[in-house]
Amino acid sequence: MKTPMIGEHSALLVFRDNLLAAPRRLRDAMFRSGKPTTDRTRSTFVFGNVFLHLHSVRTHRWSLRWTTTAGLGIATTAAFLITLVTGVLLMFYYKPYPEAAYDSIKDIHFVVPTGRFIRNIHRWAANVMVVAVILHMARAFYTAAYRRPREFNWLIGMGLFVITLGLSFTGYLLPWDQLAYWAITIGANIAQSPREVTDALNLTEWFDPGGFQKLLLLGSDVVGDEALIRFYLLHVMILPLALAALMAVHFWRIRKDGGMVRPVDADARLEPRKEETYPVFTEAPAKTYQLAAVVKGKTPVVGRGPENTVPSMPHLFYAELAVLMLTTLICIGLSLISDAPLKELANPAVPENPAKAPWYFLGLQEMVAFSAFMGGIGIPSIIIIGLGLIPFLDREEAGTGEWFGGKGGWRLVKQAMAVGFGASILIEAFVIRFGWIREWFPHVPQLVITLINPGTMLTLVYGLYSVWLVRRYNSTRAGALGLFTVFLCGFIVLTIIGTYFRGPNWVFYWSPADWPKH
Amino acid sequence: MTVKAGKPQSRLDPEPMPRRDFLGLSALWTMAGALLFSALGMLKLPKAAVLSSPSKKFSVTLPDALAAGEAYVPPGRAVALFRDGEGVHAISITCTHLGCVVKPTTEGFECPCHGSRFAVDGEVTRGPAPKALAWLKVSNKGGSWVVDEETKVPPGTKEKA
Amino acid sequence: MNKNKHLLLWSSLGVFLLLFVAAGQENFGKEWRGIQKASRSSEGALDLRLRQIVNPTLNISDRCVSCHVGMAPGETGITGPAVTAAHKNVVHQTSDYGCTTCHGGQGRATEKADAHGTVHFWPQPMLPMKYSYAGCGTCHSSLNVPNLAGLEKGRSAFERLDCYACHRVEGRGGTIRPGGGGMEGPDLSHVGVKGYAANWYDAHLQRHEQTADLPWKNSFGAINEADRAALSDYLATRVGASKLIEAKAQFNSLGCLGCHKVSGVGGDAGPDLSRAGEKDPGQANFTHVPGTPILSNWLGEHFRSPLGIVPGSQMPMMGLNEKQIDLLTMYVLSLRRRELPGAYLPKDRINAMRFGAREFATDGATIFSAICAGCHGADGRGARYPGIPPFPNIAGQDFLQVASDEFITETIKQGRPGRKMPSWMNEAGLKPEEIARVVAYLRQLGGNTAVAADTNPPRGVKGNAADGAKLFAANCSGCHGQKGEGGEGPALNNKVLLSTANDRFFVETIGKGRRGTAMKGFLEPSPVRRALTQAEIEAVVTYIRSWGAK
Repeated sequence: MKTPMIGEHSALLVFRDNLLAAPRRLRDAMFRSGKPTTDRTRSTFVFGNVFLHLHSVRTHRWSLRWTTTAGLGIATTAAFLITLVTGVLLMFYYKPYPEAAYDSIKDIHFVVPTGRFIRNIHRWAANVMVVAVILHMARAFYTAAYRRPREFNWLIGMGLFVITLGLSFTGYLLPWDQLAYWAITIGANIAQSPREVTDALNLTEWFDPGGFQKLLLLGSDVVGDEALIRFYLLHVMILPLALAALMAVHFWRIRKDGGMVRPVDADARLEPRKEETYPVFTEAPAKTYQLAAVVKGKTPVVGRGPENTVPSMPHLFYAELAVLMLTTLICIGLSLISDAPLKELANPAVPENPAKAPWYFLGLQEMVAFSAFMGGIGIPSIIIIGLGLIPFLDREEAGTGEWFGGKGGWRLVKQAMAVGFGASILIEAFVIRFGWIREWFPHVPQLVITLINPGTMLTLVYGLYSVWLVRRYNSTRAGALGLFTVFLCGFIVLTIIGTYFRGPNWVFYWSPADWPKH
Repeated sequence: MTVKAGKPQSRLDPEPMPRRDFLGLSALWTMAGALLFSALGMLKLPKAAVLSSPSKKFSVTLPDALAAGEAYVPPGRAVALFRDGEGVHAISITCTHLGCVVKPTTEGFECPCHGSRFAVDGEVTRGPAPKALAWLKVSNKGGSWVVDEETKVPPGTKEKA
Repeated sequence: MNKNKHLLLWSSLGVFLLLFVAAGQENFGKEWRGIQKASRSSEGALDLRLRQIVNPTLNISDRCVSCHVGMAPGETGITGPAVTAAHKNVVHQTSDYGCTTCHGGQGRATEKADAHGTVHFWPQPMLPMKYSYAGCGTCHSSLNVPNLAGLEKGRSAFERLDCYACHRVEGRGGTIRPGGGGMEGPDLSHVGVKGYAANWYDAHLQRHEQTADLPWKNSFGAINEADRAALSDYLATRVGASKLIEAKAQFNSLGCLGCHKVSGVGGDAGPDLSRAGEKDPGQANFTHVPGTPILSNWLGEHFRSPLGIVPGSQMPMMGLNEKQIDLLTMYVLSLRRRELPGAYLPKDRINAMRFGAREFATDGATIFSAICAGCHGADGRGARYPGIPPFPNIAGQDFLQVASDEFITETIKQGRPGRKMPSWMNEAGLKPEEIARVVAYLRQLGGNTAVAADTNPPRGVKGNAADGAKLFAANCSGCHGQKGEGGEGPALNNKVLLSTANDRFFVETIGKGRRGTAMKGFLEPSPVRRALTQAEIEAVVTYIRSWGAK
């Protein structure tokens, strides 16, 4: 064999050069467009990246105002990412089997390196996520972001909201402590509560959706290892996957629906553009796009005049990263202040008294205390159906993208808040002081209680009020604003009563200091 | 950011970017640092600080009928105890090759997995095992014997009865 | 954009800072780290790490030894803060049993408050040091423990017979040959577990007669049978936990089993105590309990005044002194009786669980004081508690002279339905031979009163039932009820009473009354009524009998 020549064409030299160039080529292969310094490279930076391409390449300046979204959607996403990372870490040590589960949480708390901190962050991030998702929903509602063309995304958002609550609930079971055990017992029986109706109608023998739901949830007739593994599966696999999938759709639809909602006169109301921004379109585009005669359509910017946009990279990304880190800061800060709770080992013989669910379910628990079916399934279904219908009932266009649709809207919301708080507090006070039908007529059939209870009465009052608003202001938007506001207020009142004013046996107490000692 | 740009550019000109964006860069690097730091913290988690395996020190009561040279293997432990006139000693019966449990015989120990053989004092006589079987520390606790699987002693060390 | 950059910068800095704090807490801030840092072993500085004892069979992971380093199995020569001291020498190795098996507390925890269990949501705080021996009750149920008097009898025999000269028990005695070759006899502190030769007495005696050795000549002599029995009872209880045995003897002296069950034996009137020592303090009401809310304080206060702690409690105020309360607290705390894997079941537990061995000694005196004394009093004269009607005096002459052994035996076996006296002829009750011993002991309590000879047939009375009915209504129904259903006085239409008592029992009781109770003899007149004649009494008895016919 010939010794290779050292020279210009030596394969060895080429090899050396290739080796030296490998890092640069790897970088080029990963990021094809180089530094994002020009409009073109910034654009490719966004659409050349699988994670970023859910964003549009340019972002309207209105969307970047802090008051437009308050960053709540990103905060929710950030909280989800935090729970995702910490949750995966917790899975290193968590053992989904009764008692072993409890011991493993104790181990995470006491001996796993950083375990307690990670678990605290997981718990706080979950709470932050629930708060953020509620606020985000309220933001979307009050800026009328559900309106055409965003109706579908509003529905996706509702799905995300429900899944978020589901994740929280299933997470509560996993430590297998008293709180977990009784929360899941109550939850499973809420699932079974359609029997309240089927029993009353003598249908259960033939048609038993309640029993089916409970069996599906628990995998058994008691809360035990079967239930735990099912909730574990829901918590770490089914619900996160569903959430991630819906999130992808949610984000993608934001782009496809023309970005963040903004008022028609947004451009005019923005302060004059600083020099750093640069318009894509110098005049109003009028063209439709057509690609090889395959895809046809109208870009969302048609007829919108010169776009007041800035490149997403870096304008939008700074905002997103800022909110991400702020959310992280909040979660970590809370985790240092307060530990995630862990009560005694689950004891099927001794119920917690009071057995309180996590705070965001206490409004529901307050209604469940009136009627399991109506409080746990009926009214929540009505609310969800109502929320889902709003975009299809309110087809107005005025005030889209404005908080409360402008000044008049804010006045209306304030009035609705008075009604929402007032009605719920009045009904609660009445029930606490005088009781309800069962206390007056002990032999009243269950069906009557199911249909006529403080929860349904409150729902009815709220519904009627909204219908009245539609008539009074001759506006479906007014009805929607009122409806959402009163239900939000009712939720807040019930949650506060459930959290602070309910003691053992779900009796009303002004303060936990007045609770009887066993 | 201090950028002086001229009149509105034509649409194909790039948006001018500042050469030095101290604020943006420091913000990004701080974020990267914080995330890196948190990642380091998270990397600590999978390394267990305590093991869930049984304690390595355990006590054994030897059967009275144990003959000299006969091995006694306490249930659930990979240790063989021997008693003879000089005292009691314990030899680990985990093969030094790949961790199979070796079988004590009258001639020594044999490993079922890859054919290693050990003499009665644990020395390798055959097969792939790289090291002799370890002698473990035994201490007399009045009637019972405490074996410490974590402490090795030189071969030949025996604890007086 | 600058606003967002600022937000990003300061949030990130904040995150960095908080992570730094958390890292500090995680890596430097732990209590055990400080303790281990301040300690030295014989080989120098300790390596700083979490230490633990794991026993998967008992499901323990005790990290107590992270701070109590010197108590870790095999650790010797640890010097440092007081917590690192070595454990005192006990029978059970920490390597096998860990710490929480005996002491309670939260073994998985690594911080003092959590580990000692004095935190919310941990149901099993550590046993207070003075009740440490209650921890034995996690696994053991010491058997055949006599009452206090029985225990004292054995102890005093041991003392009187000079056994301490050669033998050591719980650190006392064995001093006959100080410095010269150690004790003459073996240490008997654990002889109840280890056992001893059945022929010890003959062997001792033989040696005493054959040897010229002074200790054997002087300190040992013939022992009579009663003393030998007392000694053997005493030695059987020497299991290394003398305080706990004393506590149990105290329990066996107050008749608690009359109302409470322990290990399946006892009455039903009160709660089963078999696992009362594991009661979760979080489930108990500490409103009226002074001191820290731990179970021992609750129990002590509860013994002082049951009704003051548990509203509606039926338990009488026993009027106990502090020493008795202390012992009872210790015993109830020891009722922990955990489910154990087979290999860890001690012999005494197996004997109690599978072979029906008694935890109390089965001589008549102990059974009576462990079960009957609660109501009938330690002397059998009927216990008296504030706010509760006096219980029947069954050791008096009036009762014992007319109550035959069969009658008493039947009453114990069948109980008195409707009254507090339960039936003892069931699986939670007594064996026939045990009942026989109780009856014999009762006779002994009453000064060996025998039943007066009686030649009459058990159902010999032939009076006029109609007259009897009138007399009953006039004289008896005030206390015993219109139909003999009972009121202030006991029910007489009780099936068990009517079937077990003979006529003479009724006639004599009505005629002579029952001293110490409201029942006066009707043969004597009283300020409010005339005396009844023997015939009238027989008429009443005939009337009472007529209920039994139905």
